[in-house]
Amino acid sequence: MQFLYFDPAIGAMIIQAIVAAVAGIILFSKNALYKVKVFLGIAKPLSDQDLFDDIDIDDTELEKNKTIEDK
Amino acid sequence: MRTSNLHASSFRDPSGTVFLDNGIVKRLINPIYFKQYQALKESGFFNKLFNNNLLIKHEEVSSSDDKIVIEPEQIPFISYPYEWSFNQYKAAALLTLKIQKYCLNHGFSLKDASAYNVTFHKGRAIFIDTLSFDFYKENTPWRAYKQFISHFLGPLVLARYHGAAQLQLIMNYSDGIPTKTISSLLPKTTKLNPFLYSNIHLLAKFESKHNEDESGKIKETSLSKNGQIKMIDALYDYIKNLKLKETTEWEDYYSNTNYSNDSFKKKSEIINSWVEVVKPKTLIDIGGNDGTFVRSISKDLNLALVTDIDNNAVDHNYKMAKENDERYMLPLILDVLNPSPAIGFNNKERASFIQRIKVWNPDITMALAVIHHITLTGNVPFAMSAEFFATFSKQLIIEFPKQTDSKVERLLNTKGEFKEHFNFYNQDNFETAYLNFFNLIEKKQIEDAERTMYFLKIKNA
Repeated sequence: MQFLYFDPAIGAMIIQAIVAAVAGIILFSKNALYKVKVFLGIAKPLSDQDLFDDIDIDDTELEKNKTIEDK
Repeated sequence: MRTSNLHASSFRDPSGTVFLDNGIVKRLINPIYFKQYQALKESGFFNKLFNNNLLIKHEEVSSSDDKIVIEPEQIPFISYPYEWSFNQYKAAALLTLKIQKYCLNHGFSLKDASAYNVTFHKGRAIFIDTLSFDFYKENTPWRAYKQFISHFLGPLVLARYHGAAQLQLIMNYSDGIPTKTISSLLPKTTKLNPFLYSNIHLLAKFESKHNEDESGKIKETSLSKNGQIKMIDALYDYIKNLKLKETTEWEDYYSNTNYSNDSFKKKSEIINSWVEVVKPKTLIDIGGNDGTFVRSISKDLNLALVTDIDNNAVDHNYKMAKENDERYMLPLILDVLNPSPAIGFNNKERASFIQRIKVWNPDITMALAVIHHITLTGNVPFAMSAEFFATFSKQLIIEFPKQTDSKVERLLNTKGEFKEHFNFYNQDNFETAYLNFFNLIEKKQIEDAERTMYFLKIKNA
């Protein structure tokens, strides 16, 4: 890796497989729990006043806005 | 190019360097990074990052076989991680993760995840290191993962358990808080949390193990893209929901203040009458709490830096500014008695708060209800605080609470038998000291309050 200019952190490279597996389980169980709560009608409504948005970026939205601007 | 023009913080990455060209910040790109730069440009990924307000915009100003120069949108004031409130810090962490996921979906990856790659501009966190992007190689783990933990997750989790002041710990380490230190500072119960166990405690264990027995060579390790995305998603989810435990003495300051609403209004009116004359474009409010006064003045400001020592006040200001889309507002943590020092290599990598303020040179300085804290809590003589304000202020609006003000009385009473040592705290001494550095334009007594407002102008300006 010729572009690497900081501590390569070998341990941190190896561990990511474990971290990702744990993350998979956490996300899966959170999702499952949420579905159960929705089913039982006790899920917290998703707050629309969240200070931070979602991680995902919707490129199609951007394209749409662009075409509107272009017009 | 002379090294004297190079920005003192831009030396770690051989891909390029930041330099000053007649006061304009520019970035030089070396041939070693041409392939990445062209790919980012030609694939339209740079534009996507710009349009989503993730990366600071730039324009290419020159291109030759041995160098490319780009000019980024100029940021008037660069703030550092140890000056951010808890939610600002969160915003910077989330931005980094968001960019990394966006990168992965477009065939790129962040090669570093330093907290200094982010700053606040026009009301939001923005990524400023244009050369941090590299190609994503299938099935490789995230090289910057450990750096992300040391710079972002670690400080945020420490703040969660030990208070927002922990966010300043990063000042002591040139490349983030070591994972071992984060792990040992966290309560033992965090080992029961699978997310914290894997991302911090286990990481710290792996790190110390592999630091000892490796020759420094990087072993080929693999992680699917899907796996990495899950890891990033879980980090995002955890940080997004992270909250502080602490409450504060300042949060209810304005509901619990010495002013009747009427005096508050009068104070605003006095400030407004002065501000209308100056018509400032830039302003710094020292001890500005949650920005209430800056919001109450009629203005057409480009940038208002509102500083306070208290995390919750700054956080409250940040939330309000974000909700109301007040792009001129830049809330920051500042302890007037101990402003951020210059740190890093040669003590030049990150400029001190005072150095940055001097360069920025705001049109007006406000110091409301803060002089009694500087003088009676910090024991800073008037002559020294006057000199402090004079180093960066062109015009100063300062409020002086008299000895008879209840807040001042309280501070004086805490001095016990030494109370008499502080008899110097009076309007005459204040004026003598401040008029050494400033000319008096106007002073006004706030009706029904034991406080006087001063409008001062720096001498020889």
